[in-house]
Amino acid sequence: MSNVIHASHLTLAYGKGEKAVIKDANFKIEKGEFVFITGPSGSGKSTLLKSLYGQLKPSEGSLVVGGLNLGKIGHKKLQELRTHMGIIFQDYKLVNEWTVSKNVVLPLMIAGYSTEVQETQARRLLKHVKLSEHANKYPLELSGGEQQRLGVARALAKNPVIILADEPTGNLDDYSSNVIWDLMENACQQLDTTVLVVTHKIPAIFSLPYRHFIIESKGVYEVH
Amino acid sequence: MKFIKNHLMFILPLMAILLGIEFYLVFERSTNTYEKGLTKGYSMLVVTKDPIDLSTLQALNSHIMYSEKLKRDAIVSEVAKGVNENTREAILDALPYFYNVGLDAYLHTSGLEEIKEDLESHLNIKKVETFGGSYNSSYKLFSFIKFTLEIFIVFMTIVSLFLIIKQMEIWKYAHKERMQVMEIFGAPMMLRSGVLFKVALIDAFFSTLLVSGIFFYLKYYWAGKSGIDIMMENQEALFKISDIGILFFSSLFIVIIAVYSVVFSSKGVQE
Repeated sequence: MSNVIHASHLTLAYGKGEKAVIKDANFKIEKGEFVFITGPSGSGKSTLLKSLYGQLKPSEGSLVVGGLNLGKIGHKKLQELRTHMGIIFQDYKLVNEWTVSKNVVLPLMIAGYSTEVQETQARRLLKHVKLSEHANKYPLELSGGEQQRLGVARALAKNPVIILADEPTGNLDDYSSNVIWDLMENACQQLDTTVLVVTHKIPAIFSLPYRHFIIESKGVYEVH
Repeated sequence: MKFIKNHLMFILPLMAILLGIEFYLVFERSTNTYEKGLTKGYSMLVVTKDPIDLSTLQALNSHIMYSEKLKRDAIVSEVAKGVNENTREAILDALPYFYNVGLDAYLHTSGLEEIKEDLESHLNIKKVETFGGSYNSSYKLFSFIKFTLEIFIVFMTIVSLFLIIKQMEIWKYAHKERMQVMEIFGAPMMLRSGVLFKVALIDAFFSTLLVSGIFFYLKYYWAGKSGIDIMMENQEALFKISDIGILFFSSLFIVIIAVYSVVFSSKGVQE
């Protein structure tokens, strides 16, 4: 199996001279793995996730994602890398002036797929997350759970190599949470997608084998 | 309503800048004609011991365009009224040669002084009279009007640019979220800012159209019937088809700078 993510002596800080949020972390995540990262509030879970999609560069050490060293990567390469990622946010980060249909095919639009392909995929994806009847609505007309399902559908739109999820079920009811876990499990099982979820609590019912890392005192440790 | 307001907030200051540019173009064309008139009406007086030809004068200074020899007989007949033929001949022999010398451009008085120095360096030339006093007053008035208009246009442009920047701030706020989400998913800059470019290009097109329309109306409908001499004389200078291109490229330049400023200030994901 090949490493999709490899952190070596990774230190993360917001700016030079600032206190490190993550210090000297070492871990490897392989293709097709499902990984949970937990830790108390403010421990640096979201910071670690940001570094994985290149929003925060390592202060020290190296972080290699998809074979690219994020500390040395140029803007173009990072852009390219992000097109192979599906990112899910706790606050959804949907485009509120776009319809549900348009939001869900954003990764396809970026990849330059034709309008017909986008429309077909939008129908398929929305059916998958049980939002077909909301296709022409705007995100703010949906409930929190529906918005997050839309966020997950958008993340899955282009069959990404990696899914990064930041507290994906943080504010959701049980029904929406279960739908979202199912979707991510399916992606991992059927498409061999690497899924990395940052959460404060691992769901009680979870059928897939998974790895669990915990962030404590700025370090990242695997829980066996 | 909000849509129209958003566009007008960008179109109006852009129009103000384009009006400034068009006023400048019109003024340049009108003043060029006026300058030509002033140049044509101006000549300096050159006094020589012996006859001198134009090429000799032009070799001394390249601004010299023509020379016209004044008839000495006419001068002598004025000063030698009632004298006999021999005396008249003697006066004529002693009299120097006079030339009206015209220039190719409307020069500052320092330019006239340079020409005077160049001409007086020739041994055959006894005296050069530039009539600098009256020339200078016309030049100063003309320069003052030109300078005032330029200051006004620059001021109008600065104020309008501030208004455009203000509108850009509103656009930035309106589009920031969308552009940031697109950036997270790896959208290239042109795709992220496509909507902004589209809106800005439409506004640039309409601003150009409106300003061109105003000057087109002034030239073809208003100037002729205005009864204002200066307007009727300069009707041709009021608007040229090539101005549409100048206005459109100027507005494109402004909107592209404006859009890029929004795009680059929207980089990075919000915490």
